[in-house]
Amino acid sequence: MSDYIPVTEREREEMLAATGVKSVDELFADIPAGLRAGRLKLPAGLSQQEVYEKLKKTASLNRVYRSCMRGAGAYRHYIPSAVKAIASRSEFVTAYTPYQAEMSQGILRAMFEYQTYICLLTGMDVSNASLYNGATAAAEAALMTKERGRYKVFVTDNVRPDVLAVMKTYLAAKNMELVVLPAKDGLTDAEALGALLDGSAAAVYAERPNYFGLIEDFDAIGEAAHAAGAKFIGGCNPISLALLKTPADCGADIAVGEGQPLGMSLAFGGPYLGFIACKEKEVRKLPGRIVGETVDKNMRKAYVLTLQPREQHIKRERASSNICSNEALCALTATVYMGAMGKEGMREAASACTSYAHYAARKFRETGLELRYEGEFFHEFVTVAKGASDRILAALDERGILGGLRLSDDELLWCFTELNSKAEIDEATALIGGAL
Amino acid sequence: MSADNLIFEKSSLGARAATIRNPDVPVYAPSCALRENFDFPELTEVALVRHYTALSRMAFGVDNGFYPLGSCTMKYNPKLNEEIASFEGFTDIHPLAPEGSVQGALEVMYGLSEALKEITGMDAVTLQPAAGAHGEYTGLSIIAAYHKGRGDLARKKIIVPDSAHGTNPASAAMAGFEVINIPSDEGKGVDLDALRAAAGADTAALMLTNPTTLGLFEKNIEAIAEIVHSAGGLLYYDGANLNAVMGIVRPGDMGFDVVHLNLHKTFSTPHGGGGPGSGPVGCKRALEKYLPDPHVIKNADGTYSFAYSGDSIGKVSSFYGNFLVYLKAYAYILTLGAEGIRRSAEGAVLNANYLKAGISDLYPVEGGARHCMHEFVASCERLKEECGVSAMDVAKALIDRGMHPPTMYFPTIVHEALMFEPTETEDKATLDAAIEALRAVYDEAHADPEKLVSAPHNAVISRPDEVLAAKRQILRWKG
Repeated sequence: MSDYIPVTEREREEMLAATGVKSVDELFADIPAGLRAGRLKLPAGLSQQEVYEKLKKTASLNRVYRSCMRGAGAYRHYIPSAVKAIASRSEFVTAYTPYQAEMSQGILRAMFEYQTYICLLTGMDVSNASLYNGATAAAEAALMTKERGRYKVFVTDNVRPDVLAVMKTYLAAKNMELVVLPAKDGLTDAEALGALLDGSAAAVYAERPNYFGLIEDFDAIGEAAHAAGAKFIGGCNPISLALLKTPADCGADIAVGEGQPLGMSLAFGGPYLGFIACKEKEVRKLPGRIVGETVDKNMRKAYVLTLQPREQHIKRERASSNICSNEALCALTATVYMGAMGKEGMREAASACTSYAHYAARKFRETGLELRYEGEFFHEFVTVAKGASDRILAALDERGILGGLRLSDDELLWCFTELNSKAEIDEATALIGGAL
Repeated sequence: MSADNLIFEKSSLGARAATIRNPDVPVYAPSCALRENFDFPELTEVALVRHYTALSRMAFGVDNGFYPLGSCTMKYNPKLNEEIASFEGFTDIHPLAPEGSVQGALEVMYGLSEALKEITGMDAVTLQPAAGAHGEYTGLSIIAAYHKGRGDLARKKIIVPDSAHGTNPASAAMAGFEVINIPSDEGKGVDLDALRAAAGADTAALMLTNPTTLGLFEKNIEAIAEIVHSAGGLLYYDGANLNAVMGIVRPGDMGFDVVHLNLHKTFSTPHGGGGPGSGPVGCKRALEKYLPDPHVIKNADGTYSFAYSGDSIGKVSSFYGNFLVYLKAYAYILTLGAEGIRRSAEGAVLNANYLKAGISDLYPVEGGARHCMHEFVASCERLKEECGVSAMDVAKALIDRGMHPPTMYFPTIVHEALMFEPTETEDKATLDAAIEALRAVYDEAHADPEKLVSAPHNAVISRPDEVLAAKRQILRWKG
């Protein structure tokens, strides 16, 4: 019913005449008649009001939990209103990739700021302008490390399952091998890893916090990788980096991560933001768009897309990646989020995450739940109670609380952020106690 | 403070913008790996908002004006879709929430997949790829799995015409294939003899966009499909140009086996300054089981569930792809319906032909004797010979006239190419103004070429020195 076509019937006739045809059909004369589609078997169009009402109803079929204690790769954080206001400005929203630098300085400058923020966060030298999400960022980072004779990427089975799955898909196609080691007490066993690494190792990938929320010993993993001449790729939660040592300071060659916690809503899994940053010497292998500073003809400071000979539109099958569209608006969102939170806000959010998580872990233990792992954690942890996972989740669900992610009949993976509160945690503690 | 200053130069010690609730539990600091060198700029909220508002004024979107960027389908992005994607019931749901609590989201995924199957003439669709190139990669990985599944291990080559988007060969390489480039024929379509020579027992697939990157419908599509299929290969459809033909001819009916769509082009979702996009992939029945996991099924009782296939290529993205983006495309399809989809394609083609008719005497159009589809490629070669004004100069002069330039220097098989795609959401007055601007630039090129060579004159910056950018490699602020 609505079609967003502004040309009127009369104008259409004038335009057809100017084009030298009598009907629109004539313009499609090149399409063989035998191939033409009949009327699509789709419903008739709806008015804007009907679409609004229909999808409002569909949205209501999704349950918005009053309280969320689940993370596992998607994190509910407070999103400052200024972030939403800026990221919805239509000059940003409705623009294309900034090919025409003269009319895209605002976007290019924001991307340059994004790259700087990611470097400050990770301690790395260079960031690109974004990848699709944390999982593809890890996979692309692994592809960067392939060298003559070095084709194996080592990971422990405590990385996020989605990251592992996407890495597996990406590496297989490029004749790289993914070697998955068992975790020891939930952590990467740097010693066992070191013993396995040889001249065929391209990289070691580890996450801190890892899937179970534990803080890995990045220094030890990095040392093991480097001792074998392999690269170390550090996957990080960006909020945690306000408190924890940077991957660069731990010796990582490439840092990646899921940028969603930086101002993006849960949104059923996307759009999110893959960040990737590396040491200066790796820059030619870095995938995706990169913004650089230069000057214009009048020697005024200017920003442009640069180092394009790495990219698909120039190098075609020899490009460092096929990526074209990235997640620019999500990168802008993250930039404004980091600006709005500032140094103190970032630290406070990270501190609230770890404080609530540790409070919850302590309270939950009082009910008889046990912690699966002993290691230090950031804002996620795994509990164990024989056969109790479903009972616990049902008791919480009934009261509008999305409990931890069910890892097994016995294990739940919990997450806490600044959005949780003591009252919520105490309430959940009582419900868990009742369910056990 | 100059508008040129970055946010890092505007920091004011102790300033705060956003503030969060003080935790009402004891503060806990991790016992290891603590950082001592964390530093971010500190700004007040008003300083932050003014900074980014100033940057937004140095950006140009479809809402700012005409954006005939060829191959990118910069159509209007309906506000309705944006509002729907901001409903709390869509934004505040966890991807790992119980299926019973996200039935609305699964209904959207199922409903959109069904609609895209019908629009493309395919049997199955995945919504997981996050962009067009990601869709290409996914589609080609499915093709690799299909041949492997049949024990046909020799099919290692992907044939790509020289007019293809750069992502085609790059995606093929990422999916582990060898790329065979074939030349275009005199009419700049696929050279059938070259294709016959290239197609064989090692052919995995041919990648093609139809209409082609010249905006012309590939008339030999049936013969092309026959050549590739009889060699045992598959036909891959790059959906970048679907806007010209949706509702009129379906890739599945043209003989294509796998297709990717760019929802941020054809289905009106905004491009966000370079993303997020969404690149669903459709395929025929024989390839369905290789699609990424998971997919959504409708149960007999009307509920929806995720389902998994033992033969899947695995995952290409975390969770289920860019949900809020494809939600907008779903809203768009519901609004347009069957008739609106067809009318949009007709409108896109009419607008392109009208614009072409208005300028092709001055800027010769490749294949100009034929009607173009949704876009066309004009050449500034003659203009350059006559007065030294290049396609780049014309593009930059258009910036001074308040419109976004067309795509420059693509496809590379046309010299001094300018690729125009007006889309169906522009009115006649806008097209007339663009024609007038292009004709004025042509006159100016002859009268005062110097002025064009130094254009733009009214933009935020004049032409940037890209060579210097690559040489200096200043890729972050360092203070």
